Formats: sequence, C-alpha cells, structure tokens
Amino acid sequence: MTNLVAIDNKIHKNVRIDNKKAELHGAELHMIPVVLSEFSNLAVQYPIVLTKNGDTGQFTCIAMLGFKPHENLFWQNGQWQGLYLPLQIQRQPFFVGNVDVENSVEGVKSQQIVCVDFDSPTVVENCHDKTQGEPLFTGDGVETEFFQQAKTKIAQLLQGEVTNQHFIDNLKSLDLLQPLSVQISFVNQEKTRLNGLYTIDKEKLAALSEANVYALHQSGFLEAIYTMIASLGQIYALIDKKNKQIEEK
Amino acid sequence: MNNPIKTVVVVGGGTAGWLTAGQIAARHNQKITDPSSQPIVNVILIESPSIPSVGVGEGTWPTMRSTLIDLGISETDFIRECDASFKQGAKFAKWVDGSDDDFYYHPLVLPQGFAKGDMAAYWLANQARPSQNKSFSNSVCFQEAICEQGLAPKTIRTAEFSDVANYAYHLDAGKFSAFLKKHCLEKLGVTYISDDVTGANSADNGDICSVITKNNGNICGDLFVDCTGFSSLLLAKHYQIPFVDCSDVLFIDSALAVQIPYPDDQSAIASHTISTAQEAGWIWDIGLPSRRGVGHVYSSRHTTEEKAKQALADYVGKKVESLTFKKIPIRSGHREKFWHKNCVAVGLSAGFLEPLEASALVLVELSARMISEQLPANREVMDIVAQRFNETFLYRWDKIIDFLKLHYILSKRSDNAFWTENRDPQTIPQSLQDLMKLWRYRSPADLDFTSNNEVFPAASYQYVLYGMGFKSKYEDFSPSLNNWAFAEQQFAQNKKMTEQAIANLPSNRDLINKIKQYGFSSM
Repeated sequence: MTNLVAIDNKIHKNVRIDNKKAELHGAELHMIPVVLSEFSNLAVQYPIVLTKNGDTGQFTCIAMLGFKPHENLFWQNGQWQGLYLPLQIQRQPFFVGNVDVENSVEGVKSQQIVCVDFDSPTVVENCHDKTQGEPLFTGDGVETEFFQQAKTKIAQLLQGEVTNQHFIDNLKSLDLLQPLSVQISFVNQEKTRLNGLYTIDKEKLAALSEANVYALHQSGFLEAIYTMIASLGQIYALIDKKNKQIEEK
Repeated sequence: MNNPIKTVVVVGGGTAGWLTAGQIAARHNQKITDPSSQPIVNVILIESPSIPSVGVGEGTWPTMRSTLIDLGISETDFIRECDASFKQGAKFAKWVDGSDDDFYYHPLVLPQGFAKGDMAAYWLANQARPSQNKSFSNSVCFQEAICEQGLAPKTIRTAEFSDVANYAYHLDAGKFSAFLKKHCLEKLGVTYISDDVTGANSADNGDICSVITKNNGNICGDLFVDCTGFSSLLLAKHYQIPFVDCSDVLFIDSALAVQIPYPDDQSAIASHTISTAQEAGWIWDIGLPSRRGVGHVYSSRHTTEEKAKQALADYVGKKVESLTFKKIPIRSGHREKFWHKNCVAVGLSAGFLEPLEASALVLVELSARMISEQLPANREVMDIVAQRFNETFLYRWDKIIDFLKLHYILSKRSDNAFWTENRDPQTIPQSLQDLMKLWRYRSPADLDFTSNNEVFPAASYQYVLYGMGFKSKYEDFSPSLNNWAFAEQQFAQNKKMTEQAIANLPSNRDLINKIKQYGFSSM
C-alpha cells in the first residue's frame, strides 16, 4: 500500500528519510522494472529481460531477482546483498504525482510534483532523534542536498520511462524480440520453467541491415541490446544463489 | 485444356466473397511479401452497389483465427474495427424441458484428458452417486465456469491469436465485410469492380468465359466463384444445379433479427452465444462490444410471425412496436453440388441450414481454404479438383445436418408439434440414427469420425449428448471404466484449472477495453 502525500516545506519540515531502509521495499520482489541508463550497472549481477505488464500487456524492461513471486534471492539476512541497487528501490519513498494548478495566465494546468509515500518504512516522522535519516528541508525551509539528489533520481526514472518506450518500440518494429524459454532444475530436483519473459533474438539481430544497425548505434540502443544479451549469463548466477539457499536450509 | 488458371473472378462481396478472394490472393499473389512482384493469379471481385448483404452471420468458429492469420490480419485491428468480441462456445437454455434452470454448455475446449481416456464414461458412472451431480461440461472442462462469470478467454499479456481457453469470435458482419474489403484491396492486391452482374457468357465446352456486367462489359476469367448469396446467380440460375431441400430434417424456415443496445457502454459482454429454445424454434443472443444481436429462428409451419415477434420481444424485455425487425426467409438445404465446370459456389449460394452452431461462416472458411490450397494449375485438372471439392463438402453438409439435428432429437419438450415432430424417426437421417444406437453403449469417440474432412469433433457430440441428459449404458460395456485413478486425476486437474482460470482471467468487457487502448503483442 502506498499513501502518497505532496511535499510541503512547512508541513514536512520535521520529516526525515532513512534511506537505508529503502531496500525493504524490494524484499519480496522477484522482478523489478529497470531503465536503460542503469543497464550497465545492473548487468554485473542481474539478468535483464522483458516481460509484459499485467495490466496493459505492454512490454517492459525488468531485472530478475528470483524465479517465482515473492522470491528475491538478493535479499538475505534482512539486507539487499547486491553491488548495485536498482533505481526503483533507490528512489523510495519518492514518487511523482500530477496536480491541477490554476494559473491566471494559462488557466488550469497539470503539473508534476514530488510526493512521499508516508507508508514507507523509510519515513521518520516528527522525530527528535536527529541521528536517524536525513531531513528534506533545512531550518529555513530550503531543500537539502539529500532531497535534491532524490529528485534527480526521480527525474532519471521519468526520463528512463520515455527512453525505454522508444527502445521497446524499436525492438518491436525491427522484430528483435523472442520468448525466453528456459527449464531450470535446482539441486533439490525442484524444476521450474521461466514463462512470460522475452529477450533479444540474436539471429535476427545478426541479420539486421547496415542502416538499421547504424540507427540503433546512433540512438545508443545497440549498447543496451548487447548489455541485455550479456546479462542473460547472470541467470546462472541466480540459479547458483538459489541452490545455495536451498542447501543452507 | 492446358490453359493456366490466371484470373479468378469472385462475384459478390459480403463475408463469403471477401474471405474467398482474400484466401486466394494471400496464397497466390506474392504482393504481401514483395510489393513489386506481379501476381501469379489475378483475383477480381465484382460487388453489386445495389444489393445489400444479408449480414447477420455474427458467430464464428475458432478456425477464424487461422483464417485471419492466413490473410495477414492483426487481431487487434480486427477486434477494434469489426466490433468483435470473444466467443467461448454456446449455452443452450431450455432445450431439454424448457424449465428455468434447464441449460447446458457446448464449450470450445476439449474435455480434460479427452485424448487419453473416455472421461464421459467415468462421469456417467459418477452420476449414480448423489454427491456427484456436476454437469458433464463442468466436470471435464473449465470453460463453462469462465463463461458463467463473463470472463475472457485470455489476458492482455497473451499474444495475439494465442489463448488461455480456446475461443472464436462474435462480430458485426457488415463491419467485417468492409474490413476484409479494405484489407483485400490495400494489402492483397485484389482488383475491385463495383457493378451489377446480370448474367454469364458460355464457352463451347460449357464453361463460363465471362460474366456480363451493367457498366463494365464482360469480365473474363478462368475460374468463377459464386458468392451471390441466396440468389446463387451462377450455380443455380446459370447452371441450374438443383437444390437439395433439408426442411424435412431441419424445420427452421424464418428468422427475425433485432439489435439491442446495452444499458451503458461498460455493460458486461457475454462470452458465449446464448441459444434459448422457444415453442417453435430458438432465439440467438450474441454480445458484441457495442450492442447485442438477437434473433428468433422458427418454423412457420408451427407458429405465426406475430407469435414469433412476440416471443422475441418478450425475450429482450421490450414491446413489439418498439423493435425494428429484419426478416430473413430461410430455405434449409444446399446445392446438389458446389463446383460445376469452372464455377464454384461459396456461402449462401452453396446453401444454408440454420444458424445453430454457427456453421455458415466456417463452411465459407473451409471452402475458401480448399479452393485456395487446391487451386487447379490449369483447366485440365480442374474437373478432378471439382470432384474432390464436391465429395468433401457433401460429406461436410451431411455431418453438419446430423449434428444440428442432434440438438432437437434429445429434447423432452412437447409444448408444440415442432418438438415432437423433430423426434419422429422419420425426420432423423439414418446416419444419425445409427450413431445414436452405437452411443447407447459407449460415448462418441474419434473412431466415429474418421474422415479427414470432419467438421465437429466427437467431443462436441459428447457435450450435446450428455448436456441434454442422454445416458450411455456403460454397465454393458465395462472396459471403459478400468482406470479410475486416471479419471480422478483428470477431474481434479479440471477443478484446479477452473480455479486458476477464474482467478486470472479478466472480464470480457475489460479485455476488449484494454485491446482498444493497448492492443495485443505479436508474441
């Protein structure tokens, strides 16, 4: 559940955010949406693939964290054991909301504002213990550096959604996607089949015309495509994590 | 005689004309893959600007999915532009005894374990136990539950033309024709002539060498496809091929159709055809995204038009005076043959039985596919193809007649002679009587339907037979009941699949909305 509230430097002057707790939001996720600008960071540990949004059926880029719902293999001993924390986790508890703002010149206009999810465990409200978390505003009501950095991350995500869509449209129009079908056996003989995941069709990629390859390179998508292909190897690392977890039990 | 078949002339638009033209062009015209290529076979369609199409064929079979794929049509475009929705079979209400809770389903998903064992036998044996009173279709198929809850057969994540549960479509026939026309002209390179065809010119060998048009002179061709609807301009009028009347078996001879708006634009859309038996016929009820199409087919020997209108008005809950009825006469039967000389009839020009089980459009699809796949290379081999075509389709019409009749002979209704006469053995084809005798001791199986040209699978017969309360006497034929462990496993599996389907599938309306907003992916 989320409880989004627009940020106000008077009302929320005593609110502090404990960023270390952001990763709690990912404890039970088996996949997480990711944006192109973080692909190279992600590929070091996470398989990056596409799946379809359950609500819209549209393709979306995700990093795999586990093999079944609620299984995050990077979540161990109450902590995220990963070198890089995906932006969708880092951004907690900040979101962007739309509000109608009335302006004498332009009339009513929709404007984006930053909100905080007040149900997030990162939020430390009206706390007098000044060692826990970071404030959003200075005593004068000016945004802290922490808050500004948080806004930068939100902006990166918003821009990322636009770029992602452009990227996916390219993959679709060039017919570069193929279903990823993998049957996995774990050490305890438990078997699973990965369904509903999609990746790059390497044969079709190799058969692209010069002009198409050049266009992908110009837009920076060629790098993303190869990063996705390379990241698939991390499925083995993920299986390894799962096997270790099984053996420890 | 060795003249290659270079030009196919389709006379008549409508769904039959456009589907046939499209199938032939898609297969024999390379334009789809290479726009610069010359067509190997030129397809010309002549459509009358003055004759409206009948346009009430609104139910399809799952075969329509492969037909659309053959034509290179996107499912998203089709659903958006043809006011189409999903159909997962038919619900037959009041066909057994006419009581309020009298209904059964003929779903499109095969019975669970159908390929591995005779589940009907185990289900029948279970009926002896009072605790086991689930209907046949509910016991072996998860689709009835989906339909009862108005759920779609797939989700927005399912790729186009793929399914979670097998499905066909309901569609607006007029919009579908227009959509196919646009596709045939823009994508498949079909040549279009808008004109009235008034007759045909014969060659020395009796072939049609050209058709005569009002404004465009004679249009020559090597093969002529008669899609002129009930008027059957070429096959019946020109060639005088006799009509085989089936009204002694199937009594329906009239249809009254109305269109009913929904209470609001988010009203639930039924996920199946609802067929409700009446005193002297039955009422179809087809849910499209924007309206319902409802119609009463009846036997004018057994009731009057006035009473039929009243029954239809009662069904939709409106006053007779407030409805606009479209009346369509039905002459149940088909031509003695369908391909004669260099002319083949597809659609109503070949015949029509009655709307039950949506057999009209599927016959168009099957005909169009066979003509396209077996298109004779030249005139010399055409007679061989024609003979095959005639044998294949005479078989199919006979099988469809049997299956449609099956729905009537198991009824216990006696509110009108319509029903009692339907049960009179004199009105039942011998082929069906023989099957019914066999099925007294075992359930319908694939071994009863061994031709490559079958239309309805054995599963369909099972759904109707056991849905209508027929009892096969397995006690005299026990080998069918030798693996209860297998059967219990199948029943359990079906229960599990039912629960999963209900938990995961969106409503039909929901999915249609999402298709309009987002569309399906191709994978």
